[in-house]
This record gives sequence, C-alpha cells and structure tokens, in this order.
Amino acid sequence: MRMNKARWSGLGGALCLAAVLGAAPVAAKEVVKVGYIGPLTGGNSAVGLGARNSADLAVRLQNADPKSKYQYELVALDDECKANIGVQVATKMASDARIIGAATHYCSAVALGTVDIYHRFKMPVIVWGAVEPKITYGNDYPEIFRTIGTQEYQNKVASAFMRSQGYEKFAIIHDTTDYGKAHKDFFVKFLTEQGGEALGIFGVTSEQQDFTTELTKIKALGAEVLYFGGLTPLGVRIRSQMDKLDLELQFEGTSGIKSDAYISGVGAELAEGTLSFLDGAPVEKLAGGKAFTEAYARQGYAQPAEALGIFAFASMKQIIDTIEKVGPSRKALITALGRIEDDDTLIGRVTYDEHGQNAIPLMTKYVVQDGQWTIWEDSEYASGKRSLVKVKR
Amino acid sequence: MRNTKDFFRCAGLALALFAYLTLFFGAEDEWSIAAYVLLGVGGVIALVSFGALPAIERLIQANERACQALMIAGTLGIIAVFREDHYTLFLLGTIFVYSAAVLGINVQLGYAGVINFSGASFFGIGGYTAAVFLQNTPAPPLLTLLLGGIFSAVIGSILLFPVLRTSGHYSALVTMAFALLLKVFLEVSEWLGGPQGLALPSLKFLGIDFAEDLVIMGNEYSFYVKYDLACLLLLIMTFTFAQRIERSWMGLAMDAVRIDETAAACFGISVTRWKITAFTMGNFVIGVAGALYSMMLSYINPSNFTFSDSLLFLSILLLGGIGSLWGVIAATAFMVVIPEKFQIIQEYRYLIYSAMVLMMIVFRPSGLLPRKPRRYIAGGPL
Amino acid sequence: MDISLLLQFFINGCMLGMMYALVAVGFTLFFGVLDVIVFSHGDSVMVGAFAGLSFYLLCMYLSPGMPVWLVTLFVSFAGMAFVAGFGMLVSRFVIMPLRSAPALNTLLATMMLGTVMREAVRLFFPDGSNPKPFPRLLPDWSWKFGGALLRFDNIALFIAGGLLIVGVALLINHTRLGMAIRAVAQDAEAAQIMGVDFPFIVLLTFAIGSAVAAFAGLMNGLYYNEINFNLGLLLGVIGFSSAVIGGLGNIYGAILGGFVFAFLQVFGTVAMPFSSAYKDVFAFGVVIVLMAIFPTGILSERQSQRV
Repeated sequence: MRMNKARWSGLGGALCLAAVLGAAPVAAKEVVKVGYIGPLTGGNSAVGLGARNSADLAVRLQNADPKSKYQYELVALDDECKANIGVQVATKMASDARIIGAATHYCSAVALGTVDIYHRFKMPVIVWGAVEPKITYGNDYPEIFRTIGTQEYQNKVASAFMRSQGYEKFAIIHDTTDYGKAHKDFFVKFLTEQGGEALGIFGVTSEQQDFTTELTKIKALGAEVLYFGGLTPLGVRIRSQMDKLDLELQFEGTSGIKSDAYISGVGAELAEGTLSFLDGAPVEKLAGGKAFTEAYARQGYAQPAEALGIFAFASMKQIIDTIEKVGPSRKALITALGRIEDDDTLIGRVTYDEHGQNAIPLMTKYVVQDGQWTIWEDSEYASGKRSLVKVKR
Repeated sequence: MRNTKDFFRCAGLALALFAYLTLFFGAEDEWSIAAYVLLGVGGVIALVSFGALPAIERLIQANERACQALMIAGTLGIIAVFREDHYTLFLLGTIFVYSAAVLGINVQLGYAGVINFSGASFFGIGGYTAAVFLQNTPAPPLLTLLLGGIFSAVIGSILLFPVLRTSGHYSALVTMAFALLLKVFLEVSEWLGGPQGLALPSLKFLGIDFAEDLVIMGNEYSFYVKYDLACLLLLIMTFTFAQRIERSWMGLAMDAVRIDETAAACFGISVTRWKITAFTMGNFVIGVAGALYSMMLSYINPSNFTFSDSLLFLSILLLGGIGSLWGVIAATAFMVVIPEKFQIIQEYRYLIYSAMVLMMIVFRPSGLLPRKPRRYIAGGPL
Repeated sequence: MDISLLLQFFINGCMLGMMYALVAVGFTLFFGVLDVIVFSHGDSVMVGAFAGLSFYLLCMYLSPGMPVWLVTLFVSFAGMAFVAGFGMLVSRFVIMPLRSAPALNTLLATMMLGTVMREAVRLFFPDGSNPKPFPRLLPDWSWKFGGALLRFDNIALFIAGGLLIVGVALLINHTRLGMAIRAVAQDAEAAQIMGVDFPFIVLLTFAIGSAVAAFAGLMNGLYYNEINFNLGLLLGVIGFSSAVIGGLGNIYGAILGGFVFAFLQVFGTVAMPFSSAYKDVFAFGVVIVLMAIFPTGILSERQSQRV
C-alpha cells in the first residue's frame, strides 16, 4: 500500500462533490407532462420525426394560448421500432407518474408489446400510428385508445375499391415487418372474398434494395395490379424499378406510402396514378387541416409532418383538451377519454368504442395527380378525364 | 491491522462507485446527466493522472473475495434505493442479463478465440425457446431457462463444422451469415409469431408470481425487484462459472488454443475439442440469459435479435477488454445506460453514441479494464 | 419458363453481381494490404451516392446549361474523388491508429463509424431520412428481346463497372505502385525495409477502394434512380460476404463472390414461389455451406501456414 493519505482524501473529496451535485434542482413552475413515443432513429424515423413534431406542435399551440390552465411539457422518447427498446421506454414513461398521458407508437410489434405495461401502470395512451387490430381488440384494457383505424378496415375498403375499378388479378409485394405482413394478410383475405385473385405474393425485407427479380416474376405472372404493403422507402424503390423493367401495372400502395416523400422520391411523372388509402377524413377538406399545415410550417421543423403527423397531432390535442377539462390525473383522463363521443378533431369525428378504438372508421382514397396526392373523388381519374392503367384482356 | 484497513479502503471505493452510479441512474434532466458524465470522465482522468490506478488494482486483487462481496452488496443497495423506480430496475435487470450473455461470448472469444457474430441470435433462440415452452406446455420456468440454454447450444452445434474448418474473417462470416439468416427466418416463420413475435406469460416460480408487485411488511415495491434479483443471481452464477473456467486447467488449455493453435496442438491439446467446448458452453450461457431476458420483457419479436444486436454484444466485450470479466460488466452498464440517458437528445442520440464508442475504441483499444494475468486463487500470487 | 424471362433474370443478376463485386473489391483490397475488415465500406457506397447527388445539384445551380454527358462525368469523378478523400481520412485517423490492436477492434470501430456516417446523412442532408430521387443522367434507350428488356444504362454501367475493376486489377498487378501495394500486403515490414513508403501505400489503397465504393454508389443511383441513407447497411454485409466467399485478398475472387451471391439471391427468389422472403435464408444458408466446403474462399491464396 504505497498510496498516501492525500490521495485517499482526494477520493473522499470527489465523493463529497458527487453528493453535492446530486441535490436535484427544484422545479419552479407547475407543469403538466405529456408523452410521445415513436421511432426517432433508424429506417422508420421519417414518419416518427414528423409525428413527434406534430405532437410537439399541439403542445406549443396550447402553451401559446393564454386561456390554457396548465403549462404543458412534452417528453418524447425513441422506441427505434424495436420491441425491447419499446418496453424499456414505455416503462420509463408509464412509471413516471408526472406524465399524465401519451401518444404512442408507430410500429405494431412495439405497441403490442407495450400495452400490458400501460395497463399495469394505469397510464392512458392514444396510439397514433400502429394499425394492427389486436392492439385495441386483443385486450380489455381501459387505458388503450387509438385514433387511427385498423389495417383490417383499410384493406376492406382498398380491395372493394380495386374490384369496383374492374381489376381482378393482383400481384403482392409486402415487407416482412408486422406492418407489411398484416397488410398482406388482410388484403388477400378481402380480395379472395370479393372475387379477386392473388397471383403471387412476395415477402421482402425492409432493407432490400433490388426488386428486379421479384418484378420480373410478376411480369411473367400476368397481373393487373401490383399491391404493395409497406412503407415509403421500399415503395419508392419498387415503383422506380417497375419503370426500369417496363412493367405497366397499376401500382397500389397502403397508408405507408401516402407521403410527399413518395412523390418526390419517384418523381411526379412516375408517381402519377399511384393509389393509396389513408384513415380519417381528408385533412385538406377539414377546417383544421389548413390551420395545421400553416402552423406546422410556421414552427420551422426540420422534417415534414408526413401522412401520420395529423394523427399524432389529433391524439396529443385530445389528451391536452381532456386534461384541461378534467385536470391532470391519469384516472380522470382514462374515464374522460373513454366517454369521448363524436369529438371534432383534425382527422374527423372521433368516437371510442368499448375497446378504445376510434369507431368512426373513415377511409380516404388518394391518387397521385400532377405530383400531388389528390382525393380520389376530386381527381380527374374519378371524373373519367384520366384513367388508371387499363386492364388488358 | 492491514486487512481491516484494506477492507475499509475497499468499502470506501465501493461506496464512492455506487454512490456515483446511484446519482447517475437517478439523473434525469440534461444538465445533471451532462454533469455526471463529465464527473465520471473527470474522475477517471484524475485517478489516472494521480497515479492511483495501480494502487487500487493491487488493493482489489489482494482482497478479491471482499471486493466481490462488496460489489454484490452495493448492487443490492442500488436495487434497494430504486425499489419503487420500475424503469431503473428494468435497466438494471437488462444490464445483468446482457452481462451474463456477454460473459458467454467471453468464454468463446476471450478464452478459446472462437469468434461469434451471432450472439444476439443465440440470445434470441433462448428467448424464443422460453416463449414457445411457456405458451404451449406447463413446463416450470426454471426448466425453460435450462431448455433455452440447451436449444441454443444444440442449434449452435450446426455451425460447429463450418466454424471449426474456417478461421479469422472466414469464421466471422459464417456466424454473421447465421445472424442474418436467423432474423429473416424468425420474421417469416408463422408459427413463431412472425414479425409480431410472441408474448410470454409472467414468470411464476416457487409460488412467487414475478408480475405482481413485491410486498414487504405492507410496503409495495416494484415487481422488477424480483426480476432483478433473478437476473443478478444468473449473473453471479455466470461470473463464477467463467472465473472458475479461467482459473482451471480448462481455461489454460483454451488460452493456449487462442494464442497459438499450432503450438497448443504440439503440446497435445486438442484444438477442436476446446473450441467445441467453448462454443457450446458460451451458447448455453447466452441462451439461458436470453430466456430470462424474454421472461422479463414478456414480449419478444425478431427485431430484438438482429445482427446489430450481435455487434452490440461484441462491442461490449471489446470495450470492457476481451477476456476481462469485470470489464464486461462495466462496459455493459455503459453501453446499456448511455443510449437510454441520451434519450434526451432524441434523434441525435445514435450519432453521438456511436461517435463516443468509436473514440473509445480508437483511444483505448485494449478496453476499459483489460484482462490481467490469471491468478489461480482469489487474492493469490500471480 | 420461357427464354426471354431467363434472359431478364440473367440481366438483373448481372447488374446486381457487378454492384456486389464493386463493393467486394474494396473489402478485399483493404484486407490484402492491412489485414483489416473495414465495415463502414457499405456506408462509403451510400456517401458516394449522396455526394454524387450533391455534386449534381451543385452543377445544376452553377451552370444549368451544361451538356448531360459532361454533368455525368463531373458527377462521377467528383463523387469518387470526394469519397476517396474521405477514405484517406478514415485510414489516417481510424484505421492506422488501430494497427497494433486486434483485428476485431478495427471491425467494430469502423462499424461505429458506419453508424455515424449513416446517421449524419440522415440528420444533416436536407430531409435525409426520406429516399431521394437520383437524376436520370443516362440515355433512355432500350431494346426488347421477346419479353426481356435490355436498357442502355444496364450495358453502360456494367461495362463501366467491369472496366473499373479491370483497371484496379491492372494497377495492382502490372505497375510499380501495384507492386508496392502487393509488397505491403505480403509483408509490411519487409516492404518498408525495401523502401516502400508504407503510410502512403495505405492511404493510396484506401483512396482506390473508396473510389470504387463511390462508383458502386453512383451506379446504384443511376440504375435505380433512387438513393437513401440506409442503402449501405445490407450492401456492406453482402459485399463483405462476397469478398470472403471469393477469397479475401484476391480481386478476381471478389468478382466471383459478388456474382455468386447475386445469382444465389436471384435463384432463391425464382425457385421459391410463394415465400420469396426465404430467399435470404437460402442465400446465407448457402454461404455457410460454401464456407464449410471452401474454408478460405473459392479462389483462396493457396499458402501453407508459416509456423
């Protein structure tokens, strides 16, 4: 033991310093905390960041309102779209009693893994982006609400619409994540019920870059429509490569590609005529839609809101509005949210059923026209001026 | 009196360490997190520049048993401090199981030099085994833990032939290919839940339901305390196991195989045999850890067991110092807690985190606590 | 299966194979010279693609009237030069300091570096988390053979990629500089004794390897007309696999490995009708089997181990 006393006392000093620094600063102002969880890093971050900004916008607008009873503070956490990280951050958020309610999750696998945690800690959450039916219908938890519709309904509408346009033979590409796979399952189910036929189904991983082999096979199958269940990055790649192979099929996407990035990614010319379906009333038509777009632009966020930003905004706004009414208590928030009926929000009227699912399923059909996502009914495609890819028989 | 004095010094060090950890775990806002990170870095630099490190090392080595006991006591102390903080307890549990898994990889790479780029895959095999058995059979949880390890070791033995035939980067590719293959396989196989994964029922053992809050004398504490204790027990067992191996003729033989295969073979040590032993033992340990982790998580899906998670395991081992048992635990704590604390910088957290790890690898290539020459007896001579 | 379909699969496979081969060449070069695996190499491909896009935008901003062929050349060379420079920085500040450490250190350090590159592009390139369109710089000519479509950009990119690899091979096998690189690869110390400027050779190798990666990125952009920050992730792993299958340190092995892997994937998709998701399971499964059969790669350097 050569170490002298001075060194040991130095250690002791460091310890004391640590203890002094440990005294937590006291919060000066009374605030109500609300939460947001979604993917902020990795491959799904585009949607997650847009939704984060939108939730943040709801909070900022409320704080700017002098009539607001509380000062709100947003706690945003990153779930990376991984179940284990999701459980981790959900535990962090739910076990923090100061956080009253939260808008959570984009990836269904994460949402499915975390609902038990929210239930255990009795924390009300509104799911803004995950669309797997079991999240609300797989349990009886009063804490779980969801503004966005389920994949089941989306595909019911989608397949009926495609059938009504006279398409019969479909080729399907889906990504192997829960999102793409569930879309495929529901679409195939409804399609067969409605007399259509899936000629070929191709699962691809979400990192795949090259789809020429799949597309060449599809070309040989003689399908009329290429249905794609997945998100924008893959959608862009597939649509671009369809052109490279001279594959003239009607391209039909899901809510996952209804983003400006899809059009800018493939270019307006190629995107023309692409179909997509998105839950909720058409934002462009609602009074709040324009105000949202303008307010979002004013805040100068680094990322666009993306298609699901409105859902995160509506969910967060609903949480805030309800807290304003019943006070910052989780218990009161759960009861009050459960009683919500016909609430007028950015995404249309919202009523929760006994599972907390928004029971007014609205589905808007979109088609790309001149580099813009256009509501189908308003488009020149519906009026007959332009036409989708014709069926060759 | 020297021993009592030493003991108090050890206790003082342990107290300082755990006080720091307690404060760091408790830190929430960005300023205090930044302050503690700086304090930690500053403290280490101060210790190094005062020349105190060798003295501390000697002290710890001379009083190994006492220090180990102190570490366990300190950890229990942290669990007690955070008894109501579910999140911190969950993080602690994660640190314990990850450490146990990386100790398994340590047996493979650190001792016998068998590289394994599919650690997270075997971790996942353990987890999925536990999920399948708990869902479909009345198998007791303790048995499922063992089964997780056994399945992981058995499936790992498929790789034995190519791993034994190849070496270096070629061998790395074999395990890498396996990691990528397994993740896709889990994602597309319907009967394993596909991309949505599997939910696990809560752990019930000896009549204790692990999902219920812990009640001691009328006070309610987080149910994660129970999981933490289970995970800590696993870690202690794994640690002892790894240390026993290191200090036995087995560890000596494995070291010989790692350092020079040809020389080892010349001295009659069967290279094949020791590589098989290390690889299988390691996978078993990883599998058990994976099974326990999935029980604690109660929900698993393929995205938890990707190639990048395998790389995380290897990075932990490398950062800790390959072959160093204490290094593994320190590095796991670092690699698990830092990204969580970085949640406050949101989308920038992976950028900063990766840059930080990159710098650590470049500036301290031998790891935080490099492996020391072995001692055959606790506190014994070199 | 009719012949035109087979032809189309063949064309697709060739393009894919060339892309993999280009990435694999870098892995094999770095391994040959320094015995290290540079895992950020896949992300260098991505940076190459984004650098190309940036230079294109710069070009359009500075002189919108420039002829397309000139723009294409400028974008290609500027992109390759940029990534070559970046590669030299990486070798100087990450690879060289880790030279005495175990090979695993370099692998993990460069993996972290790859994450840094990926996240930096995602965060700091305008709207970088979304896919970006890549300009169509090559003429749109195409020929039909029955049902198969052969495009001009297929041929041009294939030939350019092939020439680039042959050029690198010639440089290494038939010039004084190449001799120096090979000398370092065989025995760095002996090469230094013979007067080879070791640090310079390392920098040069990294410049060459990174430039080839950048070309792969540009090829990716020109071929698919779409790039995204994540594109290097899988490409890196596949490039590494290709280099290892072919036999590390052997440029022709890298080409062979790239094409083997590409056709494995194509075959996996074609042969498994209703579950093409299993094609990666198939491809990587075959890789494991190949490694068991050829433990040092298909075209291995048949060297006996020195004891």
